[in-house]
Amino acid sequence: MNRLNQLFVSKKDNLLSIYYTAGYPALNTTVDIAEALEKAGVDFLEVGFPYSDPVADGPTIQHSSEQALENGMTLNVLFEELAELRKRVTIPILLMGYFNPIVQYGIEKFCKKAAELGVDGIIVPDLPMYEYEALYSAHFINNNLSNIFLVTPQTSEARIRKIDALSNSFIYLLSSSSITGGSLQLTNNIEDYYKRVKAMELKNPTIIGFGISDRATFTKACEYANGAIVGSKFVKLLGEEDYMGKIPGFVESIRS
Amino acid sequence: MKIKVCGLKQPENIAAVAALGANYLGFICYGRSPRYIGALPVEVLAAIPASIHKTGVFVNETAQNINLLIDKYGFDTVQLHGDESPEFSNAFRNKVTVIKAFGVDNEFDFGQLENYANNVDYFMFDTKTSGYGGSGKTFNWDILNNYRLNVPFFLSGGISLDNLDEVKKISHPQFYAVDLNSRFETEPGIKNTDKLEQAFDIIKNKTLQMKYGVNEHGYYGDFGGAYIPEMLYPNVEELRQQYINIINDADFKAEFDDLMKNYVGRPSPLYHAKRYSEKYGANIFFKREDLNHTGSHKINNAIGQILLAKRLGKKRIIAETGAGQHGVATATVCALMGIECVVYMGEIDMARQAPNVSRMKMLGATVMPASSGSKTLKDATNEALRDWIANPVDTHYIIGSVVGPYPYPDMVARFQSIISKETKKQLVEHTGKELPEYVLACVGGGSNAMGMFYHFLDDEQVKLVAVEAAGKGVDSGHSAATTFLGQEGVLHGSRTILMQTPDGQVIEPYSISAGLDYPGIGPQHAHLYKINRAQYVSVTDDEAMQAGLLCSQMEGIIPAIESSHALAQLEKMKFNPSDNVVICLSGRGDKDLDTFIKYFGY
Repeated sequence: MNRLNQLFVSKKDNLLSIYYTAGYPALNTTVDIAEALEKAGVDFLEVGFPYSDPVADGPTIQHSSEQALENGMTLNVLFEELAELRKRVTIPILLMGYFNPIVQYGIEKFCKKAAELGVDGIIVPDLPMYEYEALYSAHFINNNLSNIFLVTPQTSEARIRKIDALSNSFIYLLSSSSITGGSLQLTNNIEDYYKRVKAMELKNPTIIGFGISDRATFTKACEYANGAIVGSKFVKLLGEEDYMGKIPGFVESIRS
Repeated sequence: MKIKVCGLKQPENIAAVAALGANYLGFICYGRSPRYIGALPVEVLAAIPASIHKTGVFVNETAQNINLLIDKYGFDTVQLHGDESPEFSNAFRNKVTVIKAFGVDNEFDFGQLENYANNVDYFMFDTKTSGYGGSGKTFNWDILNNYRLNVPFFLSGGISLDNLDEVKKISHPQFYAVDLNSRFETEPGIKNTDKLEQAFDIIKNKTLQMKYGVNEHGYYGDFGGAYIPEMLYPNVEELRQQYINIINDADFKAEFDDLMKNYVGRPSPLYHAKRYSEKYGANIFFKREDLNHTGSHKINNAIGQILLAKRLGKKRIIAETGAGQHGVATATVCALMGIECVVYMGEIDMARQAPNVSRMKMLGATVMPASSGSKTLKDATNEALRDWIANPVDTHYIIGSVVGPYPYPDMVARFQSIISKETKKQLVEHTGKELPEYVLACVGGGSNAMGMFYHFLDDEQVKLVAVEAAGKGVDSGHSAATTFLGQEGVLHGSRTILMQTPDGQVIEPYSISAGLDYPGIGPQHAHLYKINRAQYVSVTDDEAMQAGLLCSQMEGIIPAIESSHALAQLEKMKFNPSDNVVICLSGRGDKDLDTFIKYFGY
């Protein structure tokens, strides 16, 4: 059982996760930001490693990725930073990024290294279920790393069941079919979708992400899921002056 | 797998079946068969292309009569369907190929074939009947596992559209050809060409699947697949489930064929370039895709996909474009069908291909500038994918090349395969045979090359040459020579070869030709490269520009700079005078006039 599993055993509601891009706004900020978020009460972290062609991301995270690459962020640099991180931060950490940098690093080597450094799970939007299951799942399982799948309003019930069976930490529910950084408009359709998934009584907890940006959207999401993830809104904050000083207030504004 | 159609007897029907491109046609010279050719005029067989083997089928006929009919009809193959002995069979091999047929049932003794093994070229296994074949029934094909000799065989007896899937599962190493007969007829001896064409498609697809085609999960060897975020899964899955059924549907085919002929202007000519032939010392042919409506091969795929989108009930089309050729083709078919069209194009490409931006706008499309990343084709593709994520239900994404998640690489290749399908027929007219020695095409993502290679993939003796853009030189840091500079990875939804940093970031390629300026290649190309079925070479900006000028001044054809890359490769090759060489002239150079003018200072 990794830190993520333990978290979901001990806490079932209103879980808050924050996403940010490693290497943005500057190199060597990953650990400081993580520590500040843990102190502000965030339950787990998603650290993005940048990619040149992030098709599932909107302008905010695209920009942070471009900037991070310009700053010199690579998987090797990130792993150096993570070696420091586990000395100062205890909450679960997920890495999130696209598949090609992992392929270049070596999939098996990546899983091994991430696990060694205390990473608990991986989110790779462009690694779908068939490819994961048929080609790569052994590397994740052997290293006790959770692979987190996404579910959208269009995902069929049968497919959600399959995803539930393949998952061993939580399922990432997208608030809508969109790229990151949109604003969540809670239509009847979306609420029906949340209800539909909730009624399936999945074995894994669910966390809602994409379009969660303030207290209202966070609270709404938590009615249907075990928690929610804030991404683009926080990445925007990192582009501001004195972002370190603003982190506690930001977290407070989402969940007190 | 080769195809034999047997039991033809009526002149017009024979011509129609020959046009479908079987490998063998069979003519029954046995008076008791309802398919007996009788007094069929010799001219009917003489008109059959030389690439098709003409087979005389005999049952216990005398050697004298067989020899007479071989001479009369020009048979190059005889099929002995009676109780002929090994020695009798062998006697014809000095002038024709010999197939010895046997009726097979569950008690069949394969041991009796041993005496024939060195005396015939092929066996045929047909269903055992009280007479000599013609039962229309299948036998238990599992029994073929007992056949262990190394003489290849034809499978005959009751093969139909209903059991072709079963036929495709037979994996015997000596399984050489299928023999199609009574189940493809309107009456004995008269073949149904629609049914035969369907069967040919199914069988040829299998041939591709066996060697170079896509498997059920979308892979070509190590490459391909569908590496897409879950947000795109329903869109791509809908396509995956539907595309084969839709494009094999008779209505779809009829509409596609009609538009290809009457709107696009196909078949595009296969032009024997005489001055080029003299210069390069071989028979050089240009496949004139530049003469298609909208000026390139891109329209073939755009027509196919718009018809597919219509059948999927889509109300809005998106596309990406680099040089603008695919954007123009997509805007064109959307105008034709009255469907909303949004084309994503890199800001930098919009500036260097301004005339095509105007054309798209005039055709009623909205051109959306891609201003992220490097502002060229790969970023236009990213933006189109983001649009599709946000509009999953009503929108179809017309990808312009053999790239992207499965089923796109296969689907686009199928639509473009019309290029090589026509070429084979046209080569027979020009040269008397359907196979050339060389086939050349330029490769960015690789759609014209895939279309040009498609029907030659299984003809291993045909050398396939794919020409990439070296830009200012492969070592200059300004290049798009993907196979030379790239490594395996994942780009735009498929596992392929792409140009990237050691950290897996995509490198922006460079070529003077916007259409070749792409950091990856289609997954099927990656596979053909890795297994050496095709040769991948590269040509610099300067070499391509000179080739474009040469073609303009020697043949009176101003080619697209993309196609000029393929032409430039001729300078580097050595031919025998008898070699037939086909080059895909994928597009016309009008769109490139500005670039040519700046380069040469006209």
